[in-house]
Amino acid sequence: MSPVESGGDGGKWLDAHYDPVAGLYTFSSCVDLADLSGDGESRLVVGDLGSGSSGMKLKVYRGTALMSESTLLDLPAGLVAFFMDLHEPRIPAVAVASGPCIYVYKNLRPYFKFTLPSLEVNTLEQDVWQQVREGQIDPLTMKEMLESIRKKADVPLSVRSLRFLSLETEDMDEFVQLHKQQPIRRQTVITCIGTLKKSTADEDGVSCLVIGTESSDVYVLDPEAFIILSKMSLPAAPTMMDVTGQFDVEFRITVACRNGNIYILRRESDKPKYCIELPSHPVGLVRVGKNVVVGCTNESLQGFTQKGKKLWKAVLAAPITTMASMDLPTRGFQAVMVGLANCEVQLYRDKNLLSRIKTPDVVTSICFGRYGREDGTLIMTTKGGGLMVKILKRTAAFDDRDSAPGPPLAQSVRLNVPKKTKLYVDQTLRERENGLAMHRAFQMDLSRLRLAAAKAYVKALESSLTPMSSSLTEPLKMNAVVQGLGPSFKLTLNVQNTAACRPVMNLAISFLYDESLYRMRNPYMRIPLLVPGLIYPVETFVECTSDKGISDIIKVFVLHEGRSSPLLTAHINMPVSEGLTLN
Amino acid sequence: MEVTMDPLFLAWSYFRRRKFQQCSDICSKILQDSPYDQAAWSLKTRALTEMVYIDEIEVDQEGIAEMMLDESSIAQVARPGTSLRLPGTSQGGGPTQAVRPMTQSGRPITGFVRPSTQSGRPGTMEQAIKTPRTASTARPVTSASGRFIRLGTASMLTNPDGPFINLSRLNLAKYSQKPDLSRTLFEFIFHHENDVKNVSVNVDYYSCNTNFIFLVQALDLAAQATEHAQFKDWWWKVQLGKCYYRLGLYREAEKQFRSALNHQEVVDTYLYLAKVYQRLDQPITALNLFKQGLDHFPGEVTLLTGIARIHEEMNNIPSATEYYKDVLKQDNTHVEAIACIGSNHFYTDQPEIALRFYRRLLQMGVYNCQLYNNLGLCCFYAQQYDMTLSSFERALALVANDEELSDVWYNIGHVAVGIGDLTLAYQCFKLALAFNNDHAEAYNNLAVLELRKGRIEQSKAFLQTAASLAPHMYEPHFNLSILSEKIGDLQSSYTAAQKSEDTFPEHVDTQQLLKQLRQHFAVL
Repeated sequence: MSPVESGGDGGKWLDAHYDPVAGLYTFSSCVDLADLSGDGESRLVVGDLGSGSSGMKLKVYRGTALMSESTLLDLPAGLVAFFMDLHEPRIPAVAVASGPCIYVYKNLRPYFKFTLPSLEVNTLEQDVWQQVREGQIDPLTMKEMLESIRKKADVPLSVRSLRFLSLETEDMDEFVQLHKQQPIRRQTVITCIGTLKKSTADEDGVSCLVIGTESSDVYVLDPEAFIILSKMSLPAAPTMMDVTGQFDVEFRITVACRNGNIYILRRESDKPKYCIELPSHPVGLVRVGKNVVVGCTNESLQGFTQKGKKLWKAVLAAPITTMASMDLPTRGFQAVMVGLANCEVQLYRDKNLLSRIKTPDVVTSICFGRYGREDGTLIMTTKGGGLMVKILKRTAAFDDRDSAPGPPLAQSVRLNVPKKTKLYVDQTLRERENGLAMHRAFQMDLSRLRLAAAKAYVKALESSLTPMSSSLTEPLKMNAVVQGLGPSFKLTLNVQNTAACRPVMNLAISFLYDESLYRMRNPYMRIPLLVPGLIYPVETFVECTSDKGISDIIKVFVLHEGRSSPLLTAHINMPVSEGLTLN
Repeated sequence: MEVTMDPLFLAWSYFRRRKFQQCSDICSKILQDSPYDQAAWSLKTRALTEMVYIDEIEVDQEGIAEMMLDESSIAQVARPGTSLRLPGTSQGGGPTQAVRPMTQSGRPITGFVRPSTQSGRPGTMEQAIKTPRTASTARPVTSASGRFIRLGTASMLTNPDGPFINLSRLNLAKYSQKPDLSRTLFEFIFHHENDVKNVSVNVDYYSCNTNFIFLVQALDLAAQATEHAQFKDWWWKVQLGKCYYRLGLYREAEKQFRSALNHQEVVDTYLYLAKVYQRLDQPITALNLFKQGLDHFPGEVTLLTGIARIHEEMNNIPSATEYYKDVLKQDNTHVEAIACIGSNHFYTDQPEIALRFYRRLLQMGVYNCQLYNNLGLCCFYAQQYDMTLSSFERALALVANDEELSDVWYNIGHVAVGIGDLTLAYQCFKLALAFNNDHAEAYNNLAVLELRKGRIEQSKAFLQTAASLAPHMYEPHFNLSILSEKIGDLQSSYTAAQKSEDTFPEHVDTQQLLKQLRQHFAVL
């Protein structure tokens, strides 16, 4: 690594490495730092989401190079490194949660696979499949029965039944034949994962795995035997979690859920102890000391106590993309890093902004910790798949200043109000003196103008001159677009039915033009049924036959079958033909 | 006994009285008797040229091809304030888009329509080739040749018996030796023989673009004449530059004009050179050149107008107004300057002063629909109600075509909205649309009126049409956004608000609406 001085962030960080095409697509929950070989050098472990449907990989970086890479079967939901035994040398295992399983890797080799216990299956549903297996009912009846179960039952349907319900009628038979012999199972998936020290608070103590599932449960797993030590349930599916304490002594699991609430679980009870109701959905959850910092979709950062009391709120400049904690125990420094959608990473201690880092792309994951032999390393991956490594300078100091705002800036901006001129004053004088006469003249002119306007309007209506018809039965609107340089033009008429809910039928379009100047491909066209609200483009081609550089108006009429007067008319000022016919 | 006047003298007299057709007829007669009469030949050439002469300095229409396929500009993404290409935000604190409407190219509307004021540079090809490019509007034509075709057609009409001079048989080298004949011949070729069709029989090889041939011939003649004058004649250099300019060889044109300026300081040359720089998208250089010209010709109106126009095109309205005022100090009947200052006062909330300027135009004898239209609006906003509607009535009476009629009705509609007579306003906007189907502003206003009547579907359709007709306007997008927000369609409201923000980033109401919508989306 060759650290380079970086600008824009007050010179607090050294740019160690930036690879904009690293091809890493991941989120903060799938990134961890761990000393995987026991040589005192930390590696970066990343669960790469690939393209979202393929190319999921577990990648390990050492320094600036990719050290190893192994394929994952499913999208990773979370990744943690943890100590699962007391063997020497102390080498952590890596747990990757994906789908309903946790894959444990040791020495970067697959070691163990833990699958969540399957959920209770609806007995009615089981009966239905039983009947199908015995050939008592056909797939269509089965569909009806399953649908009624889906609506009523407390226990939801299995994935297989749901898939069946989504099939087309012709595919159902095949599906039933293929699957009816297997028993039904209902499986949930893991949404988040964390670690919890078992009995000691040591850095390298044995940790339990804590997993949150789609079925709104939180499980604590024993690290050696992989049995469920404790099961707790939540009112909604968890999305993010933070765990602190020791399993054998006392612990707190802070879980952000999909219903926009944050629940705090404790050792004694299997139900949440405290609940924080947020004004909008949480996108990031970080614990700093004893407080919880939550980033919300309404572009705000909020701090809460352990018991769910709101402490502060900071408004951000852009939506949050990711959050991570920055913990530097050697200096006793703790802060929150917030990745924003405006290509910035901001560092907050409580509600105070300490520093900001500009990034070339939107950051999607942040991880701060020991990497290689360097304690204060910041690792970020970007939306475009880039990898960025920055090192905190030893001399960097973050001063905590409270940016208490004074009066808003807009207060001191002077408005550019033009002065009233002398002329204006004179005119107001005239107005004051001759008010009556002016008013009379105006009123008389107004009546005359109203008459003139009404006359012109009636004339326009009678000859349907306007490009929109206001009749109650056929409210139509049309506008025309001419494209091309000539001599051939494309004429597009956009016809729209502006009625609320009634379609219009039996319409046709015809044109009136100077036949010595223009030739039209279809001078008469039928319009299809017009559904309200949609714009129907009707196209035709016009050829200019004159080479004198002159142009004319083409009139378009929308006609109703069986009626002699047009519904509406549009005048198209044809452009001058610029091209010349080759002859 | 009748004394006949010498026919050549008579022709000369006709020429001076600008009766070119008679002059040309007499010359033809003389030439029939003595085909080698150089004086008659020269006079006829001049007469024919004068018939179709246009001032090369003023008319400058950029065609689509020149706009879209421009290779001569230096920076594709120029810094703000150095290019005519990106209008950007207004500099120097002029009124915003909310007060002063924009043209399609994103520049504020000017008070005086010139070939380049309305066109600007369209952002996309699609925008460039769309409708409103009609004969009556000054929007872009396809290529400069389009105009020359029309002029050429006109020149063909002047001599229906076929060409007067058969250029392809001309020995240019011989003519270039004769300074008296060569100039008239050059002007004839340059102005008169723009015609494409007249000669396409003779030229077989270059049949696709024959007017280039003539330009090249003009160029040849000019080049040979310059050589003959030992590269010391400024007039020939300017002509050479004009040829290069029309051929699109701007750098060569610049060289010729510069060299001509070294020989002789002439206002025309400055104007030509500035035109070259504007075409090369170097407005700052053009400005410097104008200022340099002003050092030699202090108070020259055309140079001052040139500066003002460039400032106006770069959205620097306050400085443009300053220069227009300078113009007026020199020439107090300059219509363009009066109109531009007037419109600027109108849009900066001083309609009473604008009224003065427009009245001045009226006193000077400008008597047309547009002027009465402006007078009507100024009277209304300056609270001189007794004259408002009569001005509009006169404007209606003076209307020359449907588009003007549509504009007048649109403005009457504005007045009707102002006095709260919504029925009249509704009728007026509809009439505006009846006469001009592409009147996006009328569509937008009509939509607002429809919405007030509670007809949401209609209103929506009108707003969509307005937005598609005028992509440069923010109002339809913003109105659609408000409408969608009111009926609870937050998603469409958001997309419409974003479009509005794209066209007018500083619009506070859009910003507030967007903020409100974002809050809506974030709330649980």
